[in-house]
Amino acid sequence: MNADFLALAQMAVGGGLMGMAYALMAYGFQLTYTAGKSVNFGQGELVMLGAFIGLSLTGIGLPYWAAVPGAMVAGAALGWFVERAAVRLALQQRNEGWILLTIIVGLFGVSAAENIWGRDDKPFPVPWPEGALEFFGISVTWPELVIAAGALGMMALVELAKRYTMLGIAVQAVSADPDSAELCGIRSKSAISLSWAVSGAAAAFAGTIIAPVTTVGPTMAAALTLKAFSVAVVAGLDSGFGLVLAGIALGSAENLSGFLLGSGWREAPGLILLILALALRPQGIFGKKIIRKV
Amino acid sequence: MKASRFILTVLLSTSLSSVAMAADVVKIAITGPFSGGSAPMGLSMRDGAKLAISQINQNGGINVGGTKMKIELIERDDEGKNDRGALVAQEISAMGDISAVIGTVNTGIAVMGDKYYVEKGIVKIITPAAGSASMTQWSKAGTKDLPIFRFAAHDGIQAQMVVEQATRLGLKKVAILHDATNYGVSGRDDLIEQIKKQGGKLKVVAIEKFAIGDKDMTGQLIKAKVSGAQAILIWGIGPELAAVASGKEKLGFKVPMIGGWTLSMSNFIDTAGTAGNGALMPQTFIEDESIQRARPFIQAYHKAYGVAKIPSPVSAAQGYDATMLLAEAIHEAGSTKPAQIKASLENLKATVKGAIADWKKPWSKWDPSNVETHEAFRRTNTVMGKVKNGRVVLANPSEKVLLEGKKTK
Repeated sequence: MNADFLALAQMAVGGGLMGMAYALMAYGFQLTYTAGKSVNFGQGELVMLGAFIGLSLTGIGLPYWAAVPGAMVAGAALGWFVERAAVRLALQQRNEGWILLTIIVGLFGVSAAENIWGRDDKPFPVPWPEGALEFFGISVTWPELVIAAGALGMMALVELAKRYTMLGIAVQAVSADPDSAELCGIRSKSAISLSWAVSGAAAAFAGTIIAPVTTVGPTMAAALTLKAFSVAVVAGLDSGFGLVLAGIALGSAENLSGFLLGSGWREAPGLILLILALALRPQGIFGKKIIRKV
Repeated sequence: MKASRFILTVLLSTSLSSVAMAADVVKIAITGPFSGGSAPMGLSMRDGAKLAISQINQNGGINVGGTKMKIELIERDDEGKNDRGALVAQEISAMGDISAVIGTVNTGIAVMGDKYYVEKGIVKIITPAAGSASMTQWSKAGTKDLPIFRFAAHDGIQAQMVVEQATRLGLKKVAILHDATNYGVSGRDDLIEQIKKQGGKLKVVAIEKFAIGDKDMTGQLIKAKVSGAQAILIWGIGPELAAVASGKEKLGFKVPMIGGWTLSMSNFIDTAGTAGNGALMPQTFIEDESIQRARPFIQAYHKAYGVAKIPSPVSAAQGYDATMLLAEAIHEAGSTKPAQIKASLENLKATVKGAIADWKKPWSKWDPSNVETHEAFRRTNTVMGKVKNGRVVLANPSEKVLLEGKKTK
């Protein structure tokens, strides 16, 4: 009985830590959604490209500490590029073309990665100690702890910047009402661009912390986008705290269902949660209902 | 006007010259995964075969009925995917002038695609795919006349060795982990059958599967650990094997991993790092220059491809030896026609000195009730290897004799 309980706890904890990575990716969705009412359906591909760029930077001899910021800069540039290339025009024309365009840019990223780095999964070297730590009989590895700490740290940092820097406040103003913000002298286009760049940087950062656990490969992104999107929808697209809870819940649920029902059922809880959330609470569990005044 | 006439002349002359060329070349196709999770095996097999081809061509080619014919190579990447592999087989069998095919790493592809070769009677030497199904499918179908030969230690032999090794280590309880592909599932069945055959000394306390692309094996490993398994018998390919090794390390589950020869793949050894040390697997070839028979091949491979380590030494050596055997068969057949090549493969007269062994009549006339007729390897051609600091070494040093002086059968 005790051993069974411990096994379940182990699975839940491992899944929850990985779930923090989903939360960080979902946070990337949230950033661009609040600013410009659009999200990057190629977010997973940005995660993958960030991981590959980080890997290449360590490959040319940079230490991990330098490779991560390097990957984030590249991720910011890519996020900015996606917004300029795929989103801005579609939004100006008030159509939903950006959905397809962001997916296409993502697919283009996959092809590029296959051609540049090859189709094989590669290990991502990290300076963390090997082996595992044990808490009350539950094993946790260093890379897993780094995912949790990194995801929380990154989200906290961006939230603080949003509240206490001029740029952050400007972006918030644009999220609240782009037209009024423009009247106050804020260029809403630039604010939206900035949110995409930050979202891209967060995605690349997520890549560099996930990759040591999952290895790096062009297809690592495919499942991640869907999971992060589930987390974002379930939590609501405007609650940072909710994302973390939903991420942990999804990660644990996945691991537990894989463990109890067999590994083929791993993906089921995410999809079920997504369907339930869309049917019962489209604004998300932690989201505020938007009341349109006519 | 002038330009178009020029183009016409060039086209005509090239097409004429290719007709002239076609008369004195032997066309051989090599298929395998040159990208994806099983790429180390596919690429090494291809490069080993190409090494043999370049050596043969440097000596003027194969003597076919008095004329020296060079080998022309056609390469196709099946990406390790069943459907893609079937398309490749369809394409090659439709070309019409292919004498023989060497390759296939993934058992599922042999199951899906080889029927196209059998329909057209094209000779194929399967290497290094080891799954039992790629040959037993023909014995089950009762095929009378089979142009498919295997040049790899098939899973029946490998499972036998894995179970022997576990028994030798004095183990009582084992867990079986396998991937959900044709290879993994038939490997699991081979293991269970072998345990029965060897007197049921091992008790299987857990059977767990995983999918291609799974990175987190904690669940399967916890079940194995809780059930008290003393070893993990495993059938899968590199990336997932590495995930199992690192999961084992994470859980502090320090039991040996014994499995199919895929535990020697570079994408297991390199990704698992120190977690992979001690993994045991059957090998037909060990990349160890102190073995005299192997040394010339190892050195030639390193030199030709500028590497210090062969990604999959077994695949490379098997690709090389298979090509040498095929060349001898074409020579003895005195023809580039698949039917004649098949007949001479079933009855090779000369002994072929390869990187693995001196091959003396490795195959015999196909008998649907006995797949061994088209299998080149026996238990005695195969040794146990062990991962040690990024390389595969002999697990039982006493078996070095086998690799040195071994004759086949």
